[in-house]
Amino acid sequence: MVQEAPTSNPSAASDVPCISLRDVEMVYRSRGKPDFLAVKDITFDIQERELFALVGPTGCGKSTILLCVSGLLFPTAGHVEIRGGPVGEAKSANQFGFIFQDPVLLPWRTAIDNVRLPLEVTGTYDGEQVNRCLELLDFVGLKKFQDLYPHELSGGMRQRVSIVRALAHDPSILLLDEPFSALDEITKRRLHVEFLDLWAHEQKTGVLITHDLYEAVFMCDRVAVMSPNPGIIKEIIEVTLPRPRTKEMRDSDEFHELTRYVRDVLGEF
Amino acid sequence: MAKGAPRNERLRDFMEGYGPAIIFLIVVLVVWQIVTTALEIPEWFIPSPIRIAQAFTTTKFLWKHTWITLVEALSGFGLSMVVGTLMAAGIANSRFLERGVFPYISLSTSIPIAATAPLLIIWMGHDLKPKIALAMIITFFPIVANTTRGLISADYRMIRMMRALNASTWTIFRKIQIPTALPYMFAGFKVSTSLCLIGAVVGEFFGGDTGLGYLLVLAESGMETPIVFVVIAILAVCGISMFQIVAYLERRLIFWASQELADQQ
Repeated sequence: MVQEAPTSNPSAASDVPCISLRDVEMVYRSRGKPDFLAVKDITFDIQERELFALVGPTGCGKSTILLCVSGLLFPTAGHVEIRGGPVGEAKSANQFGFIFQDPVLLPWRTAIDNVRLPLEVTGTYDGEQVNRCLELLDFVGLKKFQDLYPHELSGGMRQRVSIVRALAHDPSILLLDEPFSALDEITKRRLHVEFLDLWAHEQKTGVLITHDLYEAVFMCDRVAVMSPNPGIIKEIIEVTLPRPRTKEMRDSDEFHELTRYVRDVLGEF
Repeated sequence: MAKGAPRNERLRDFMEGYGPAIIFLIVVLVVWQIVTTALEIPEWFIPSPIRIAQAFTTTKFLWKHTWITLVEALSGFGLSMVVGTLMAAGIANSRFLERGVFPYISLSTSIPIAATAPLLIIWMGHDLKPKIALAMIITFFPIVANTTRGLISADYRMIRMMRALNASTWTIFRKIQIPTALPYMFAGFKVSTSLCLIGAVVGEFFGGDTGLGYLLVLAESGMETPIVFVVIAILAVCGISMFQIVAYLERRLIFWASQELADQQ
């Protein structure tokens, strides 16, 4: 019965996947409406330090899977495990960091105070962690803007703040819900590269939801392609591009072949 | 001369902003004065501006009546702020209060305040209490409704993130919901500045022997129309001042909101 507590530095037990879903099914029930089967037969493992993409059209249940992984929603059937233990345990240990499509910053707090919010909530507000926040802001080039309010920052800067906030309490798992899709093309491409740098530096495990299959292939180690009604995983594609990824790789034949293949599996364009 | 230049500039800015309104007011008062004098309009019908100005100084206990009305209006407003905000916090967090109590608060606004006044005077007597109660009742709904809307309008993703971090309901309320609700609360407060005066004055119509409402009834029965104009002027100044004070506090406290709205548009 004794389960190993999830830690933020899981070097041991490399054979146990970081995130494991088995036959996950989610049915939304509401009175007066027919039951809605959002996802079914969702099975995959995500290894430590892997970045795993979920791509698919709107309404295919990507967000449902993300909610199940974070323990904010319990699947109606199947199992979700984090490092071989229940999701609730990982949640209690504050193992999750969130990044959304919009920055979702608190407008009455400065950049640095927004980044510190998770620390205040989890009660790990000590000097070391505060320094970490400053280092992270410095990493994304926002150190000199730390005392500005969100409305004084550009859209790209705000999203950088929200990325840094997700990392503030040093979670081991990042849940990325279309984090780049609200940005303009140029900012988006720049943030892709910046994020990969940060990723290499921070050594996290991540689930990235996106509509952008180029983004999925460029950023991730594996890409799960989904289809809707009900949401299922059609195929999981291994991205064979080496790491570290460079922006030049976006022009390589291998990249184009992979994106073409993902697009064919998606079969919508 | 060096000192005078910026002052002249400031005066010019002031006149550019408020000059037309001041000139228009002076024109209206002058025409009013000329017309009432030339046509010999009786004082009980429309008194001249000069006659009204005289009434300001000759009316007995004018400032005492004003003080009483302000105390009633502001006490009711203050009570509404406290009780209304607590009620809104309850409604935002309890399905029972939302479904069971809020509809009645909402419906109660359809009852004219003048119809409730006699009942409150029967219950509470002829002193300040029923007037305070009326000022509170009339401001209660806008404060509760706006605050509730503000509390529930916090971004669901922010709440989701807080939950994932095991934040307590109280922490989420304190750090997210209350600051989010502040602009909505101030919208309710601004509406309430004029409403609380209505509540107090209507209460004074019905009972007691102090306050601007009482003075109005007294002036009307004695056909002392200049005093009626004086009371209207005082109430207008009180209402405008209270509104401006609340608006000033809003700008100071919620420095982020105007920009947020600009972003949304």
